[in-house]
Parts: sequence; C-alpha cells; structure tokens
Amino acid sequence: MKLLKHLIPAFICLLLLILVFNDHFLYDAPIVKITDVRQENEEGLERYVQHISGIIKNGEFKGNTVSFDNTATRSQVYGDNYRTGTELFVSLSPDGSLVTSVIGVKRDKYIAILFVIFLLSVIYAGRIKGLKALLSMAVNMIIAALAIWFYINGFMGMSVLSIFMIASFIFIITSLCICNGFGKKTLAAAVSSLISVLISFILAYMVIAAAGSGISYWTMDYADVIHDYKGIFYMNILISGLGAIMDISITMASSLNELIEKDPSISLSALKSSGRSISRDIMGTMTNVMLFTCFISVIPIVVLAIRNWMTLPQAISSYGELEMIRTLTSCIGIVISIPVSLMVSLFILGRRQKHD
Amino acid sequence: MISILSLILLILLVAVGRMKGLKNFLCFYLNYFLMMIYIMLMGYGINSIFLSFLSCIIVAATTLFIVNGDNIKTRSAFKSVVLVLVIMFVIIFFIGNMANISGFSSEYAETIGIYNKDIGYSMKDLIIGVVLLCTIGTVIDTALSVSTALNEVHINNPSLDMDGLFRSGMNVGRDILSTTINTLLFAFLGGLVAFFIWHQAESLPIVLNGKAIAQDLFELLSCLTASVLVIPITSYITSKALLRS
Repeated sequence: MKLLKHLIPAFICLLLLILVFNDHFLYDAPIVKITDVRQENEEGLERYVQHISGIIKNGEFKGNTVSFDNTATRSQVYGDNYRTGTELFVSLSPDGSLVTSVIGVKRDKYIAILFVIFLLSVIYAGRIKGLKALLSMAVNMIIAALAIWFYINGFMGMSVLSIFMIASFIFIITSLCICNGFGKKTLAAAVSSLISVLISFILAYMVIAAAGSGISYWTMDYADVIHDYKGIFYMNILISGLGAIMDISITMASSLNELIEKDPSISLSALKSSGRSISRDIMGTMTNVMLFTCFISVIPIVVLAIRNWMTLPQAISSYGELEMIRTLTSCIGIVISIPVSLMVSLFILGRRQKHD
Repeated sequence: MISILSLILLILLVAVGRMKGLKNFLCFYLNYFLMMIYIMLMGYGINSIFLSFLSCIIVAATTLFIVNGDNIKTRSAFKSVVLVLVIMFVIIFFIGNMANISGFSSEYAETIGIYNKDIGYSMKDLIIGVVLLCTIGTVIDTALSVSTALNEVHINNPSLDMDGLFRSGMNVGRDILSTTINTLLFAFLGGLVAFFIWHQAESLPIVLNGKAIAQDLFELLSCLTASVLVIPITSYITSKALLRS
C-alpha cells in the first residue's frame, strides 16, 4: 500500500508523457512526422540537401504521406537539420499532397521529458516541501500569465513596469506564505524583501537613467516591435533578483527566529553578528548563481559575432551589456537585502519577545 | 555603465561583508573572466561541450577551494558537483540532440542578418555546453549549503550514523529547495515575459513549440533539476566522507 502511494507521482508523470506524445489532435496546424531522411552528405560542404518523407499525423489529411526537401547546414546557426522521428508543423497545399512551407519543429514532447524529470526529482527528493515549492512555482507562473494578459489587453492603460510592480508585491507575498506559512517570520521576510527590491530598483533606475541613451538597447531583438522596450527592460531588472532577495530575507528571518527561540536572552549584538555571518556565507555563491543564469544567454550571439569579424571585447560590450546590467543589479539587490533583512527581522521578531 | 554598477557592487559587498565581501567580488569577476576565456576559445573553434566541462570544473574548484578553503566540506561538495554535472550532461545531451534547439529561430533573422551563417562551428554542441554551464552556479550553491550544514550536524552530534546524517542532509536540502527554485524561476521569468509580450499576436501553441522558448526552458529546467539532484548526492557523499574521517 505504501509502495503504491509512492508510485502515484511516477504514474501521473507517465500519463502526462503519453498525453504529450500523442497530442497532435490539439493543434490546428498540420503535423508531419518524419519517417525517412536521405541526404547527399558531401564531406566538407557547409550546406547540403535533405530529402524528407513523412506522414501527416492530424487534420483532414491524416495518414497521407508527403515528401519535401530541406536545406541543412553543418553549423546549424539558422534553420534545422531533421532526423527520423522529428515532428514538424507545416503548411499544406489545398489537396494535402504538397508541403508548401515548414513552420517549425514540434518540441513540446522534449520539454515535457525534461519537465517530468524535474517533477519526479522534486517530488521524490523534496517530499512535502518539494510539493509546496511546486505549488508556489505554479502560482507564480499563473500570476505572471495574468500580468501579461492584463498588459496585452491594455488594462487601465498601465505600463508593463507598473503592472509588474504590483505583480512583484503579489509574488513576494504568495511565495513566502506558501513555503513558510503565515507568521512573524514570513512577515519579516516579506517586508524586508519589499524594501530591498524597492531600494535596489530605485538605485538601478537612477544609474540607468543617468546613462540615458548610452545603453545598447538596439541589441534587444524586439526593440523595433515592442514600443515600450525600455519598460520591458526595467521590468526584467525588477523581477530578476526577486527570488534571490526573497531567499536572503527568509534565510535571515528564520535563522534569527531560531536563535531567539533557542536563547530568548540573547543580546542584540550577538544576534547582529550571527545574522551577518550567516548572510556573508550565502551572498558569495548567490552572486555567482546570478552571473551564470543571467549572463549565459548572450553566448550564442557573441560566438556567432566573433566567428565572423567582431573581436570579443566589441561583441561583449554590445551584446553583453544589457544582460550584465541585469546581473549586476540583481547582485546589488542581493547585497542590499542583507542589512535590510537584518534590521527588519530584528525589529519585527524582537517586538514579539516583549509582548510574549 | 557596467563600471558604475560594478563599483556600487564592490562598495556594497565590502561594506556588508568586509574581507569576505572583497573575496566574493574578486571571485565574481574571476568567473566572469573565465567565461570570457570560454567564449574566446569557442571563437577559435574548440568544442563547446569539452570547454563547458572544463569551465565548470575550474569554476567549482575556484569557488569552493579558494573562497571557502580546502577542507572536507568543500572536497565533498566538489565531488558532488562533478557527479551532478555528469548526470545533467547525459540528460541534456540526449534530449537536446533530439529537440533541434541549436542556433537562432526565424524571429532573430534581423539580429543575425549581418553575419555569415556558415561559421564552421557546431551550434548544437554550443547550446548543450551553454545549458550545462548555466547549471553550475546553482549546483555549487546548493552543494556547499548542504555539506556545510552536514558538517555542523556532525560536529554537534558525532554519534549520528550514516543513515541519520544522510537524513539530516536531506532535511537541510529540503529547507533550501523552495528558495532555490524561486531564485532560478525569477532569474528566467523576465525573459519569458518579454518573449510572450513580443509574440502576443501569434498562436500560442506554435509559440510554445518555438526554438527560442525551448532554449530558455531547457536552461531553466536543467538548472532546476540540477539544483534538486545535488541534494541527495551531496548528502550521501558528505555523510560518507564525514564518517570516514
């Protein structure tokens, strides 16, 4: 019986995978599953032709076979190289016998495999705390989706930045409450997160505004599509460090709470010094987390540029600038949150002592 | 711009962390510098997967041994990091190879229009290497937290056996799990939000299957999975090392 209970998550994940692997009926666009690839593979040539045949998996022409050609490149900078088993969204000619164009590769099943691996490891390693973390993640995703929806539908004419300022407030409250319950500890963490986010954002805003047009906004791929691209950039800066700031705040609040509960007569200076030493240990690795997660996405374009005619410093200073600003402001937020959370936690947790 | 923000970061780090803050700042820029060398060597045509592995190991060694000293905690954290990297590599390599996530999709045509696309360098290996390198920060973070906490437990309670130590390691790991997941989620969320606003006019199912979003989700999910997998692995390796000593 107990074993059965442990197998429930695995069973649900298996069902999810089976569903995603057979979800062709959910899509309007025709999907072709490649059954055969023949290619003229000439050594040393950058480009070669793939003769593809495949079978249509959905819609009115389901079951028909089609064939078409694809130009593949060895570097795969642009376009795709197909292999047997790859599924493609395509446009068909009216009689369903010809593929007029390939819209893109169907990648949902691969994302689903990765997602299921993550899900299973969180559930089996994290147990109930893992489930709570998943719940808070799901809630945050829903809040973000709602915020996007409000923005796209022009809710009260608000800018993307102001909508996400409100969303950040909700992000902080919900994530901290789901994972740590309601209590003074959560209150202290929430208040210090809010203050730290506010201070670091204002600081970043001032520095960026002072630089004015000197920032390479042109490297944003959507700078000429989205009118308010600066607002999007500020929004990104606002929420990038949010998780890390919450991390420091709740760590500080719960360790100080622990110290006060173990020894109610502990002196203020002892609390302060242990608070500082706890946070010093985590801030170093946290700044590295931000560096590797934020900065990494510029690597493909930088490599493309330096494999062409740019030098590395040129490529980094143009394509890397925005992401570096994002990384540094997140790190600044992390460091600011240490003294802020120390003071706020002492204020909120210390007060409770007097009343108790 | 970058230098002003760096200066602010340096001042804050030293004000809050004194000597350790300065060390952190140097470590941050050392890792940045390593990443530049990594990119430069890719520019010379050296395979990205090999370079990623090498960079990950150098980053782990410097962050763990130079900043936090050479001891039983950092040594077991290092072993755990390497093991997690190998596991993640197998996952990322096989799924990444099938999913066609290399290079740029059509919406970036204008961005890359000025460049010659036949660069004679495999973008497929590049993206696999990049996703692997992306996980290293959070893996080191979690591994160090778990091994440090386990060391404290062992000092305060030397009679605890393998089973007990492993269990307390898992407990510590579970406590930091939700905050780690949050940190990673928000680091990626801004980019995803921008992407969905950019593609608001297109059909959502097609956008969700797109290459750019797949690359982002690969990075996010790999970071998340790696930061979870490292918890049991570090608990096991550290408990064993502590009991042997």
